[in-house]
Amino acid sequence: MRPPRVGIHLTVVVWLLLAACPLLLSEWRLSQLAQITSYGIFAMSLAFLWGQTGLLCFGQAIFFGVGAYVMALITKGMVTGVGDSTVIGLLAATLLAALVALAAGLLVFRGRGLSGAYFAIVTLAAAVIAERAASHSRFIGGFNGLLDVPPLRYGGDASRVELLAPMPVYYVMLGAAGLAYGLLLWLERSPLGTTLRAVRDNEPRTAYFGFEVSVYKTFSFALSGAMAGFAGGLFATQFGFVSPALIGVPLSTEVLIWTALGGREVLLAAFLGALVVRSVESLLSEALGYYWLLGLGVLFIASVVIFPRGLLGRLLSLPPPRRMAGPAEPPR
Amino acid sequence: MAAVLIVALDAANFMLALLLVTLGLVILFGLMNVINMAHGEMFLLGAYAVVLVERQGGGFWLALVLAPLALAVIGLLIEEVVIRHVYHRFIDTILATWGLSISLKQAVIIAFGPTAQQVENPLPQTVVILGTLYPVYRLFIMAVAVLAAAGTFLLFYRTSLGLVARAVIANRPMASSLGLNTRRMDRMTFAFGAALAGLAGAVMAPLMSVDPQMGVGFLIPAFLSILVGGTGTLLGTLLGTTLIAGAGTVVASVWTQITAQIVVFALAIVVIRLFPQGITGARR
Repeated sequence: MRPPRVGIHLTVVVWLLLAACPLLLSEWRLSQLAQITSYGIFAMSLAFLWGQTGLLCFGQAIFFGVGAYVMALITKGMVTGVGDSTVIGLLAATLLAALVALAAGLLVFRGRGLSGAYFAIVTLAAAVIAERAASHSRFIGGFNGLLDVPPLRYGGDASRVELLAPMPVYYVMLGAAGLAYGLLLWLERSPLGTTLRAVRDNEPRTAYFGFEVSVYKTFSFALSGAMAGFAGGLFATQFGFVSPALIGVPLSTEVLIWTALGGREVLLAAFLGALVVRSVESLLSEALGYYWLLGLGVLFIASVVIFPRGLLGRLLSLPPPRRMAGPAEPPR
Repeated sequence: MAAVLIVALDAANFMLALLLVTLGLVILFGLMNVINMAHGEMFLLGAYAVVLVERQGGGFWLALVLAPLALAVIGLLIEEVVIRHVYHRFIDTILATWGLSISLKQAVIIAFGPTAQQVENPLPQTVVILGTLYPVYRLFIMAVAVLAAAGTFLLFYRTSLGLVARAVIANRPMASSLGLNTRRMDRMTFAFGAALAGLAGAVMAPLMSVDPQMGVGFLIPAFLSILVGGTGTLLGTLLGTTLIAGAGTVVASVWTQITAQIVVFALAIVVIRLFPQGITGARR
């Protein structure tokens, strides 16, 4: 049986449409979309952790927030000795978020580690801790956060150019999203990704086959944290403002809803989930008021009960990697 | 000495209030294996039931009876429409109840507005306990918590109904083939958990600002209490709430409320990491 190729076609169409957005949207909408794209990368980071490795994290915004704060601190020049360029900021945002996730992963997963609901509740509590701590640290602006985070920019001190026009900004963000997508997809389809899914589907059995399960979980957590930090760093340049709201429970659960609605097992579905929900929200939340969140909550419940793979997951799922397809002819 | 006594009384009060909130949660978690993230909102609905009854001219004591009943009905409804479909998908119960939590909170905001409501304290007197003045209503809450915990224990461990409920939990196919109606037990257990949340919300309403965010503040300490204590037994819950509430009150009396929350949550995470079965779980 030939694997269904419709997912491949749709995936290509989606990326082409995203690339064509500058032709279709007004400048204001385009800059909105550029900002939302960072949420899309954020959703992919969770989709990798949750959909591929089976770790439901209720504190994913911790890493997004760490990335955003690190980016703001560095590009505002508040950290001495590292310069204040966008690239350094993004690298540091990604690296520090990865380190936080790595440390947390080592603590949580080593030996007879936590998983399932325990992991979810512990990450939820950790998100509360992070939010409270951020609101009360004076260095990072406390409850008010950090204002005037510089936009994307390049060049040295003398000839520095700030990237402000919506179209180039959008393409930078889309490029970053493409990069994140490519990396995560490559890992997902590599033998490593297969092992991660084995951990997801049956952890004891994977352990019996000789895999060090906790190492795989920690790796996935650190990578996901790095990606979330990268997204947070990008978000800071787009939003220009970093506050404790970026690090706590509300955003952690929002990204969960985007990812679940889109489809947690398919990176692009999660990415689109974030894009669509945020776009619709910016269009409709004025008109619907309190009913928007009620509707989103009900839709979320419905999708969990009826479509556990998300609303887009089935459409956009890709055929398994060729090495998994088995021999072309059944052996006689 | 008086200061120490006040801290001890506050700790006992907080612990019993937390126990009252945690009871419903631990029944659903320990007995049905459902992580009810909407427990905070069921608690919230209990408090708003009091607001509603008082607006209609009913007194607080009537509301205290009606709130658990109302929540039992809401619990039945939720079980039938949502939870029933995800019993066999453990992690999805977290998501579904999280969606419920969002929806219920938003429904309350639409119905009552986002601002805080006031509930009159029905027992505004104070009594002198060992030389310090203490509000009577706090003592009432502590009594309700003790009674609810004792009642729950007796119901599940000393009645035939409780035996049936535990049989269904222990081995569903076996219970079913012995002719026990497992669906009905699921419904009743869920409704009972919801009713306990409603009771907790109604009892706590006069002491709290009744607003749409009031449930969240209790949800995480309640979950941490369960995980710290261990899910299998009510004794574990008792121990968990004692530790969480005791540590919280003591730290808050030395530093601030915020520091207390951060310290207690962090300590709870460490304990859960070291004893994944809970501190009572090691014996089993």
